[in-house]
Amino acid sequence: MKRTLPQSILLYTTLVVVISVLLFPVYWMVITSLAPSNALRSFPPQFWPHNPQWQTYTNLIFNTDMPRWLLNSAVVALAATGISMLVSVLAAYSLSRYTMKGSEAVGLFILMSKMLPATMLIIPLFSIFRNLGLMGSLWSLIIAHATAIVPFATWMLKGYFDSIPQELEQAAQVDGCTPWGALFRVILPVSAPGLAATALYGFVLSWADYLYARTFLANAAGNWTANVGIATFKGEYQTDWNVIMAASLLAALPIMIAYLFLQRYLVGGLTAGAGK
Amino acid sequence: MSELSQSRTATAAPRRSSGLFGIDLASPKHANKLGYLLLAPAALLILAILVYPMLLAIDISFHDVKFATLSFGSADYTLVNYQKLFSSPDFWNALRVTAQLLLVVTSISMVVGMGTALLVNQQFRGRSFARMLIALPWAIPEVVAVVTWVWILDASFGVLNWLLIKIGLIGGPVSWFSSPSTAFSAVTMVMVWKGYPFISIMILAGLQSIPEEYYQAAKVDGANVFQRFFWVTIPCIAPVLGVTLILTVLWVFRDFSIIYVLTGGGPVGATETLAIMTYEEAFNFFRMGYASSIGVVTLVICAVISAFLVKKTSHAIY
Repeated sequence: MKRTLPQSILLYTTLVVVISVLLFPVYWMVITSLAPSNALRSFPPQFWPHNPQWQTYTNLIFNTDMPRWLLNSAVVALAATGISMLVSVLAAYSLSRYTMKGSEAVGLFILMSKMLPATMLIIPLFSIFRNLGLMGSLWSLIIAHATAIVPFATWMLKGYFDSIPQELEQAAQVDGCTPWGALFRVILPVSAPGLAATALYGFVLSWADYLYARTFLANAAGNWTANVGIATFKGEYQTDWNVIMAASLLAALPIMIAYLFLQRYLVGGLTAGAGK
Repeated sequence: MSELSQSRTATAAPRRSSGLFGIDLASPKHANKLGYLLLAPAALLILAILVYPMLLAIDISFHDVKFATLSFGSADYTLVNYQKLFSSPDFWNALRVTAQLLLVVTSISMVVGMGTALLVNQQFRGRSFARMLIALPWAIPEVVAVVTWVWILDASFGVLNWLLIKIGLIGGPVSWFSSPSTAFSAVTMVMVWKGYPFISIMILAGLQSIPEEYYQAAKVDGANVFQRFFWVTIPCIAPVLGVTLILTVLWVFRDFSIIYVLTGGGPVGATETLAIMTYEEAFNFFRMGYASSIGVVTLVICAVISAFLVKKTSHAIY
């Protein structure tokens, strides 16, 4: 389909305008983080950092708890995603390939758990973790995040496995593979993009959590995740917006980078379960 | 199947029959056992960390539990929480705010998501880069997004006030979080910004599954661009739209972080949704039983909405 010149100009102009408006907050986060403190209280605002202040970042990394919070976030997100993926891959494969009594009930549970309000779930979890002595420990978060990741991951992966022809593992079994072998040596490698997308989704879910982290780790400042730390910045350092924005950027960066690399697979993975 | 592969199956069979945990995986009779075995860890996990807590929450909602006595086992069942709830003006306010937010945020983000999806579905150079940028806010944690927006909306030095004054839309700086209507707008803005990328991603995938021939056929029949949109595009992506709508509605309904960090539910309850009210009652006032009853009501409403939408969009989810 050929476009005339005015049509092309219109298309590109629209694109530039739409993307600039939608991504302005991200741009503003970067610009503010590099601005010197006194420039933040000037009108009109500075739209370009003439004199970028990198020491905001070095200060944040060497003189605050930010690195520790980031590490906590990473530990929790990796553990929650890892455990969830292990369990979800097996469940999704089972739901996709075997017709069993009770599969439908499990499917229904998964659907239901996607509707559970986290603000309701957090009350019994609070009581359970308190009884188990997990309050303030990173384990409480890992378990709580798994409640959100397992249903979604199972759902996404089932959609993905459904799209892989059964003949593939039948052929592998004909060639002497056990059902386990067929799953691990044939199906999983073939579904690597789906696995990557699902894992990224789980990681994002865990990394972005604020509700559980805030509630379970409230009295354990050393175990705070990046989000909890940043939310306290909002109250305490109301004037140091450059510090807050730098911290925010550091907390957003891991996901943004992963997203840039895995974006293509993510789209496929998200919609494999929804398509039809 | 050829004779050769048949004989290979036969020789391979004994090796497999040792199986896992003594289950003879080769025999079809036992094949399903492996299915159950694979499902078991997830099923147990879901039972332990989702089903049991949910039942516990329902149970707590029928007890007059305060924080200090969260071990309520022997206490009597009572309807006092629900009675208090339905006669509380705060609850009806939260319900109204939730419904309002649902309507406004869902419709605006569906429109923005659809618009951006249609835009980057065009053929042009740099398309995949544009797609990446359009959905980027998805990758930003809610709290980070909120904190950034608080700075953009800052009453004294916020860039949005400066911009609005510059183009003459407002006379002086607006203090976004001090009046009910502007606080509601602020919440809407942030939620749309966080929510539209997911919608855009989903719709874009739907658009790509529409065969080009449909559009060519419609063109031959003389359909203009709007007719093609309403008679080809929309029907083709209806299932995807359905699923996206359900997920978006459920997200707005249950979201906590954005509103809590942005406004804390205020001012004067203008942004206090059921989710915020549940949390406040539980962890600020330590009325666990009462909070659970709000949570249970939220769950019931969620279930009704999803059942309704799932029916409407046929079996798009499963």
